[in-house]
Amino acid sequence: MRATIARLVWIAGLSALVGAAVAAQQAPPPQVSEQELLDGLKADGSRWLTFGGDYANHRHSPLTAITPANVNRLMPQWTFQTGTLGNFETTPLLRDNVLYVTGPQNVAWAIDARTGRQIWRYRRELPATGLTACCGLVNRGFGVLGDKLFMTTLDAHLLALDMKTGAIAWDATLEDYKRGYASTLAPLVVKGKVIVGVAGGEYGIRGFLDAYDAQTGKRAWRFYTIPGPGEPGHTTWSGDSWQRGGAGLWVTGAYDPELNLLYYGTGNPGPDYHSDSREGDNLYSCSLVAIDADTGKIRWHYQFTPHDVHDWDATEVPVLADLTIAGQARKVVMFANRNGFYYTLDRTNGKLILGKPFVATTWAKQIDSDGRPHLEPGQLPDEKGEITCPDITGGTNFWPPTYDPSSHLFFVNAREVCAMFYAWKPEYKEGDRFTGGAAQRVTASDRKAYGALRAIDPITGERRWQFEYLTPSTAGLLSTASGLIFSGDAEGNLLALDSRSGTLLWRYQMGATMHGTSPITYMLDGRQHVLVPAGTTLTAWALPPEASATR
Amino acid sequence: MGIFRARCADCHGIDARGIRGPDITRVWAEGRTDGGLFQTLRNGVPNTEMPSVGARTPDVEVWQILAYVRTLAAPAPNDPPRGNAQNGERIFRANCASCHQVNGKGGRLGPDLSRIGAARARDALVNQIVGAVEGSRLGYEPVTVTPQEGQPIHGVKKNEDLFSVQIMDTRERIQGYEKEKMKAVADDKKSAMPAFGPDRLSQSDLDDVVRYLQGLRGFDPAVRQ
Repeated sequence: MRATIARLVWIAGLSALVGAAVAAQQAPPPQVSEQELLDGLKADGSRWLTFGGDYANHRHSPLTAITPANVNRLMPQWTFQTGTLGNFETTPLLRDNVLYVTGPQNVAWAIDARTGRQIWRYRRELPATGLTACCGLVNRGFGVLGDKLFMTTLDAHLLALDMKTGAIAWDATLEDYKRGYASTLAPLVVKGKVIVGVAGGEYGIRGFLDAYDAQTGKRAWRFYTIPGPGEPGHTTWSGDSWQRGGAGLWVTGAYDPELNLLYYGTGNPGPDYHSDSREGDNLYSCSLVAIDADTGKIRWHYQFTPHDVHDWDATEVPVLADLTIAGQARKVVMFANRNGFYYTLDRTNGKLILGKPFVATTWAKQIDSDGRPHLEPGQLPDEKGEITCPDITGGTNFWPPTYDPSSHLFFVNAREVCAMFYAWKPEYKEGDRFTGGAAQRVTASDRKAYGALRAIDPITGERRWQFEYLTPSTAGLLSTASGLIFSGDAEGNLLALDSRSGTLLWRYQMGATMHGTSPITYMLDGRQHVLVPAGTTLTAWALPPEASATR
Repeated sequence: MGIFRARCADCHGIDARGIRGPDITRVWAEGRTDGGLFQTLRNGVPNTEMPSVGARTPDVEVWQILAYVRTLAAPAPNDPPRGNAQNGERIFRANCASCHQVNGKGGRLGPDLSRIGAARARDALVNQIVGAVEGSRLGYEPVTVTPQEGQPIHGVKKNEDLFSVQIMDTRERIQGYEKEKMKAVADDKKSAMPAFGPDRLSQSDLDDVVRYLQGLRGFDPAVRQ
């Protein structure tokens, strides 16, 4: 009895405390709503709930407390260490002052955004053998809806975790990892469905995009990126090559709620370099596909690189915008491609508006009026080797770009690198690599590899400015309404630049590069924070309290 | 070669000098043993992208992969050995040892050559000595740092980013410099290694030096008490 009274007193005291806290900052409803996902980044800076910040993948925050004038006063607030092997490639999520972060090795955390202290940790055991993730045991982030987080795994599962505890709610198998399938992308949650795809373009998979019911984990639909017999596009694969033609989906797409269309970039056809066995365009590899979010049916496609032979996955991040082009309002999707071209497409029908190289390209210099690249001679890999620009990693890759709707500028980390490509006939063995070639660095002194952050005008394709790095950067970006852009270089520097001019404003040596990660920004207790995943650390940055107050 | 190309080349490059994965032609020079490398291939590197060759791959195929990579690092010579190693060592001590260590003795500005015989073929050694190789290996690129006051500092680059450079200067001092505080930081065109052409080294002396280098296979630094 006494214990009960003590407990009641304790609860009453607690309630008073909670009341005070609520007065200072309203706690959001316990469940993440679909409306919150539709709203994207709010001016109050209270959340970051999807991979790209919003369904359009702008990664452009409305927050303005940190400015070009005060960014040099940023101070570290805390650093979180993963304690695992391997590096972050993730975009963290934030809601109600808690960060939700996926890491390498099937590990994930909930972290107190105020202090960097872990609230829970989830770890899924990796299979002892047979794992085939080609390019690192990585993960690119959570999706969220209701009280659940969604995470793909290296052994090709989709998991739902309890946001409060990290306990597993359901576990859906995408495919058998022993057959070359893996999954690394951040799920996109749209209308109660969790949208995910699979990696494995180097292992003879047949790629697909899946939708799962967020409540139950039941599969709602599947879209194969390689059409089966009888389906349109099937005949763009010779013989039975379609069965192991690759075209994985390993980077999160965009969503247009009005058109109810999902936009995803697809991976390379397999085998990557030796293509005699897969004559034809190889649809829908290296394409942007527009998929009905309710049914999983394809509405249109645009193939950037028909019959690719350079491993140029179109798994870059599609970015949606509404632009006025030649006096007309256009709904567009912007896409900087691994093949070295920047594209502006009409996202209602997939028609090309603009396609122009944003790095040096030797395989094609222009896109013809029919929307196909105009191929240059002598750019097919063979036993002797052919030098082609860009290299395998490409003009850009999966690291996210940003878009500033006020200046209409598209920002992307670009690479100027060439490679010698080789091809030879491969043999298919289930679960083994199936690439049929390789490449070699080109190290001549007149071909110094470098990278640059480039600002591209999506209406003309012209470059507005660039900031040159010492070597190619693989960092993702974050931009803000105050005119800042955060990036990183390959040498481990975190950089803040003026997004109108490309002028460097501030830097900090982090000891690891932001390979494929992007910073996020949010308000916490009245101060704007920038959170940066790099290597095995997360670091939170903010202005000193007095600077925040007197901005 | 077939197995290497199918299973390894995509990451390590067709020449094994690294693309996504590291350069594996230098592993012997760095002191890795055949036995250790066999285990790396057999087991993979746990928790990294480097997979095991798999249980289905017989031991003999693992050795074949290693043997092939070794030929990429240091192809077997086609011509019979020539030159006098003893005289080569004397020439090396007089001309090279001020910059190159062998078995714990010598200068530090250039690469340690204690295991060079296991790492590089005869032709590659000759080309390097006569100055026929363009550019410098990472970590040995020549650089000149000019402070606001005082003499320019010549050295080799150990590391660099947009804002700083870390060097070993010709007096073997290791030191970092912030670029914005310097008058100039410039990459030098000419290698820190002088070219030993026919004017400086006769054909027979060259043969002798190369013969000496070919015999360098590392040493055991363990202290016997």
